[in-house]
Amino acid sequence: MTNDLSTNDSIEISRRKMMGLVVGVINLGLIGSIVGPMVGFATAPLTVKRKQRWVELMDESMIQPGEVKEVNYSMRVVDGYHEIEQKYTVYLRRGEEDVICIDPACTHLGCRVKFQSEQHRFVCPCHGGVFDDQGNNKSGPPPKPLERHPVKIEAGKIWISREV
Amino acid sequence: MRQQKFRPEDAPTLSPEVKVDTPREATAEERLHIDRPSLTDWLDLRLGWYGFVRKNLDEPMPAGVGWWQTLGNLLMTLLIFQFVTGFALAMYYSPSPEAAHASVKHITYAVTLGSFIRGLHAWGSSIIVITVVLHTLRVFFWGSYKKPREVTWIIGVIIFQVVLGFSFTGYLLPWDQRAYWATVVGTRIAATVPLIGHGLLVFIRGGEEVGALTLTRFFSFHVMLLPATLLVFKFLHLYLVRRHHIAGPVEPAKGAPVPFYPNQLFKDAIVLLFGVGLLIFLAIGFPPALEAIANPTGTDFSPRPEWYFLGLYELLKIMPSGWEVVATVIIPTGITIGMFALPWLDRSKSRHPGKRQWVMMMGMFIILLIGLMTLKGILETPPEHKATQVAENTQFHPVETAALTE
Repeated sequence: MTNDLSTNDSIEISRRKMMGLVVGVINLGLIGSIVGPMVGFATAPLTVKRKQRWVELMDESMIQPGEVKEVNYSMRVVDGYHEIEQKYTVYLRRGEEDVICIDPACTHLGCRVKFQSEQHRFVCPCHGGVFDDQGNNKSGPPPKPLERHPVKIEAGKIWISREV
Repeated sequence: MRQQKFRPEDAPTLSPEVKVDTPREATAEERLHIDRPSLTDWLDLRLGWYGFVRKNLDEPMPAGVGWWQTLGNLLMTLLIFQFVTGFALAMYYSPSPEAAHASVKHITYAVTLGSFIRGLHAWGSSIIVITVVLHTLRVFFWGSYKKPREVTWIIGVIIFQVVLGFSFTGYLLPWDQRAYWATVVGTRIAATVPLIGHGLLVFIRGGEEVGALTLTRFFSFHVMLLPATLLVFKFLHLYLVRRHHIAGPVEPAKGAPVPFYPNQLFKDAIVLLFGVGLLIFLAIGFPPALEAIANPTGTDFSPRPEWYFLGLYELLKIMPSGWEVVATVIIPTGITIGMFALPWLDRSKSRHPGKRQWVMMMGMFIILLIGLMTLKGILETPPEHKATQVAENTQFHPVETAALTE
């Protein structure tokens, strides 16, 4: 009699365990069915590929050797769900032989650096980072030089390229 | 009406002194509840209303509990205000770069009481941050996080983080210059995380740059994920506070416990009067500004975060080149982990500050550091742009619509 009872108990327990296991698996499936797609959906921007595009800025004659100019321009870019005319700012610096294009985003935390012509340097208003007139970091927290964009001069026009 | 036997637990009394252990004849007042049930009697039968009210209003408060214990109620009330004003603002707000600024402008200047409602929401966020910090400091100094209230503390720390998340995501929504540039800098902090920094930045922004998808993301977090998270953890926090009761003073005070109602609730009401009064005063007297629409061009704008993030902002100034990860990741993460682990870091059995010296020293150091950095940030204006020096370089903006080529 005692043996029969214990057998029934063990059957009951294994049945409970089995049902509990099935409930657990179903619940895991339910969680996975929403979390999986959710992760893919939310991280979609990570898979967007960007490419370099050229844009004409101005006549070559409008900047003299040794001069640094702040230039605004715009490009059509895809911003999420729509295409817009996105405005940007860059600094052009003309040397004796070449023109370089310096992005004003401070390499520390992205504030826009300001050019101080008398000191021939760029200064970040946020945390006091200082760069020379070619964008090399000189003092303060910025860890690396300002980013440069490729430049080409064609038919007297200055073009730059940026990743969008 | 069908007659039913009177049950002592049905008695609608709120007084803890009335304890009935054995069935007895109902009094005339109790008889009235049975024969002519009121709406609350009706609710009681279905929801256990009297028990619920009695449990919450008769919650025993240890002697010595007083004004410092009103902050939780103030915080909860302010959060409800945020929810209501946020719901109202969402009726007029549109989370897109084209419409966000215009919709906030419309709320502020065209909608009836729009400036007031926006003021309540904007100032509410600041007062909530102050309240949540004070509430956390009270629990810290009183050592109220000790056994059996460790989980209550952990949930409180999560609520603290959620409040900061609300502030950060809400700051962008007006889409003005201040909002845009503070978010450019704030999100850039994510890029300093080793190995996954860039991926994290793109995930948070919804792209490489702050744009349309940043706004929709922040809006989604601000009005969906964070409120839902807050609701769950707020409920758990309250449940645990009621389960373990309020921790009394560090040294038990003389006197018997008193019920929450009316003693503590009266103090709560007074603090609410001043807290909400201050909020209304600020919303009317100092309505929130709306700057020019977000403009990614130009180099004249100096980004500044909201005042409660200024400590971190200033800390970044003093970090030498290449060490910014210390200020952006290591210190904030370390403080957060330390807060979560506090009940286990503090091994002392006593709640008395004098017997928890190293925890107190560490806590005071961090509070002092954050306080001084925040003060420095508030007092210190950013390095001035020298307008005369840059004018000659900024006059030239020849290409408004540059030719686009592949």
